[in-house]
Amino acid sequence: MKKNKFESEGSKEHSFAVALPAVLWQILFLYLPLFFLIYISFVKTLDYAVLKNLTLQNYKTLIDFSYFKIISRSVALAFFNSLFCLILAYPIAYFLALRVKRLKNLFIFLLVLPFWTNFLVQAYAWFFILDNNGILNKFLLKVGIISSPLHILNTPLAIYIVMLFCYLPFMVLPIYSSMTKIDKYLLEASSDLGATSWQTLGHVTLPLSLSGIRNGFFLVLIPSFGEFVIPILLGGGKVMYVGSMISYFFLETKNVFLGAAFTCFSGFILILIALIVYILFRKLGK
Amino acid sequence: MREIKLKNIKKIFNGEIVLDGLNLTIPKGEFFALLGPSGSGKTTLLRLIAGFEKADAGSIFLGNQDITSLPINERRVNTVFQNYALFPHFNVFDNVAYSLKIKKVKKDIIEQKVINVLKKVHLERHIYKEIHQLSGGQQQRVALARAVINEPDVLLLDEPLAALDLKLREKMLVELIDLQEVLKTTFVYVTHDQFEALTVADRMAIMNSEGEIEQVGTPKEIYEFPQSSFVARFVGSTNLIKGVLRSEDNKSSIEIPDLGSFEAMLPKKREWACNGCSVLMSVRPEKIEISKKKLEGFSNCLEGTVDSIVYHGRSTQYHVALKNGSMIHVFEQNEEHFPQEVIDYDDNVFMYWQKENVVLLEK
Amino acid sequence: MELQGKISLKTRRSYRRGRAYLLPIFVGLVYLILYSPIIVLIVFSFNKNPLSFKWYGFTFDWYKQLFSSVEILDALKNSLIVAFSSVFLCITMALFYVFYGVSSFLNRLMVIFYGSLVAPEIVLAVCLLSIFTFFSIPLGLTTLIVGHTLIGLAYVVPIIKSSFLEMDYGLVEASMDLGATESQTFYKIVIPILSPAIISAALLVLIVSLDDFLISFFCAGASVLTLPMYIFSEIRSGATPVVNALSTLLLVVSSFLILILTAFKLRTRVF
Repeated sequence: MKKNKFESEGSKEHSFAVALPAVLWQILFLYLPLFFLIYISFVKTLDYAVLKNLTLQNYKTLIDFSYFKIISRSVALAFFNSLFCLILAYPIAYFLALRVKRLKNLFIFLLVLPFWTNFLVQAYAWFFILDNNGILNKFLLKVGIISSPLHILNTPLAIYIVMLFCYLPFMVLPIYSSMTKIDKYLLEASSDLGATSWQTLGHVTLPLSLSGIRNGFFLVLIPSFGEFVIPILLGGGKVMYVGSMISYFFLETKNVFLGAAFTCFSGFILILIALIVYILFRKLGK
Repeated sequence: MREIKLKNIKKIFNGEIVLDGLNLTIPKGEFFALLGPSGSGKTTLLRLIAGFEKADAGSIFLGNQDITSLPINERRVNTVFQNYALFPHFNVFDNVAYSLKIKKVKKDIIEQKVINVLKKVHLERHIYKEIHQLSGGQQQRVALARAVINEPDVLLLDEPLAALDLKLREKMLVELIDLQEVLKTTFVYVTHDQFEALTVADRMAIMNSEGEIEQVGTPKEIYEFPQSSFVARFVGSTNLIKGVLRSEDNKSSIEIPDLGSFEAMLPKKREWACNGCSVLMSVRPEKIEISKKKLEGFSNCLEGTVDSIVYHGRSTQYHVALKNGSMIHVFEQNEEHFPQEVIDYDDNVFMYWQKENVVLLEK
Repeated sequence: MELQGKISLKTRRSYRRGRAYLLPIFVGLVYLILYSPIIVLIVFSFNKNPLSFKWYGFTFDWYKQLFSSVEILDALKNSLIVAFSSVFLCITMALFYVFYGVSSFLNRLMVIFYGSLVAPEIVLAVCLLSIFTFFSIPLGLTTLIVGHTLIGLAYVVPIIKSSFLEMDYGLVEASMDLGATESQTFYKIVIPILSPAIISAALLVLIVSLDDFLISFFCAGASVLTLPMYIFSEIRSGATPVVNALSTLLLVVSSFLILILTAFKLRTRVF
């Protein structure tokens, strides 16, 4: 049945006004600030001569090797984290979607639970594992694989490990979802026609789950780029990533203009990366 | 109790004109049926009266009140929905009492009225049940009670029995008739089922697939004196034969190529009936007498060969092929266990009918 | 030829049988690694000396300290105020938007709510901060609520919208037909029927708001601390043992809320 209009004239204005706040909120606190951010990246002071003041000075300041290093560090983090997540997540999604008969929802729930119970605490908990005296080192020492504790904490390795496990659900869920939509009869048909499990995987399952892979990839790529907490907590805070750099500009130096320029520039790089990945996926799909 | 007048109603949906220049008057206090095929716009018409849709042109009057732009909740019109639309989070009592609660009627009066109306629909033992505990028929009656407690000027029913099985439907039809007689509210009943319409209606309107009203009248008028071939075919079934009208003095006859001339009576509206006009002759199958023997006393007779016989228990339907190839079907009531005459396949038969039982149609 | 085929089939089968356990073991391992940090954290929150990784003995001391710490209770108070305010704002605005906006072009603007989900949270945080600075809005609980409501809307509006679309619209028409105005229909019919979705959405926003760190970090200013912010600053300044207890507690509360949410969703789907 079609949704119908309410007939009375008077209540139409009333309806409209009452429905507006949600939309206004988004515009006022998301889109307007976004444009504002872009605007102040082109000015040096918050004067009222709006258009006269536009300058590229902020962006010129950013043309510096150290900033490029920071951004490329984040790009690498985003890209490789997505890749590692994919490698780890795909078998898990496959297992949950196609091998588990009952209790599927329980497994998914267990997978997602750590993520929902506070990112921060999750990251902090890894301290106990990765520390020089932590569980991992203790275990490896006891078993005899190493002779002296591995220095993992406060290195990029720690960041990558924690990012991997924190973002895992983001990758598993879309792939899982796309796999459950694959018609079981297709897989049976593939076996029936002589394919081994691996062949079915490569020729049938993989192509059909590609949309899930793509969605998961983006779901990890974009937030990973701007990740703030994990690099700071587990990286020792001496090495700058985009997230910590933005925080530095806005909260420590309070140079909002340079900060805005950096944010916009990083955002621009992110969009570029996303576009490249998107095109790659399109090519893969063919 | 007020009558409904629809004047020049035009309604467009997605660029398609569903109703165009529609005029209809529904007298007060009647059980009025709107009959038509799916897509004829009858439900749209109903929704216009209720206020769920707004007409693109034209006006709707309830008595002297122009309700064309009146909001839904201010019209003294109530609807019984096809899927009942009972509020799932309210029990029977709360559903029925809803409109009274809105009007802030006093609690004890509400209770009295609800019990009263539930008695009228025979649900007094289910007052506090939850909706999902009721059967389809019971839910339907709650929907009725809820709409009727308001004592509206008009009650609109949109194919209310569509979801019920045959036996239940027949039972509910009778209950609806009784209810209308008790309440004396105008009922406007929309359906595509002619049996329902013929059963309940005091008067009815037939709509065709183009959203036009073909004919308005009592069930008997519509059945016995259809004014177009659409009505003749849609309500009941009929045999339509094309011919040429020959009218001299007071005698009229239809000339049908290859078959001869047949006596007829001129239709009431004679403007279109001119000498030499092309007409359609409509004879209902039950009005035709079929026999292998020659019979006297009938004004018209046709000869043919029995092509198929279908036994319906109460009646038998014969399809008879004529000399010119067209088919006539005939209903004969099976009045006797051992009929005097047994008609079989390929038998040569005569079909007789009186000229009074013929209806002449223009198109 | 036939014999050869049979032999190779046999070896392949036993090979496969061993292989068949590889995947489940792998998945099990991942789950183990996923949960090990959390489990260790919980265990160590009861450690007499949690700063060392040696086990010194079981104690509730840190939890007791938790409840007597003014700072923590204050942070908790702030977190709760912000969370419940955001829930209220999100739900109210979303309900009004979904119901009253159904007949206007606002309906088609649904897309704009996905913006907050697409952009990285740090960008949102920084944008908000810029706006607040420019308009000289003092940073504090209000700005926090604004930010949390913003991200909350992106979750709530789609949930309530889809639930509304699933609802039988005939019920709204029936209500109006029986004499109720738009508003009466809204309060008496629509809200009760949408209540499962409303509760789910509310719980979701509650969890998101209580757990949120980034927006809070940027938009809370110098004087206001929420619980995650407190944990963060403590970790960075060298964890006190209380942080372990607090983290564990937060973990347990969040898990509990999610459990309720999931159980609730499963239950209402049965109906």
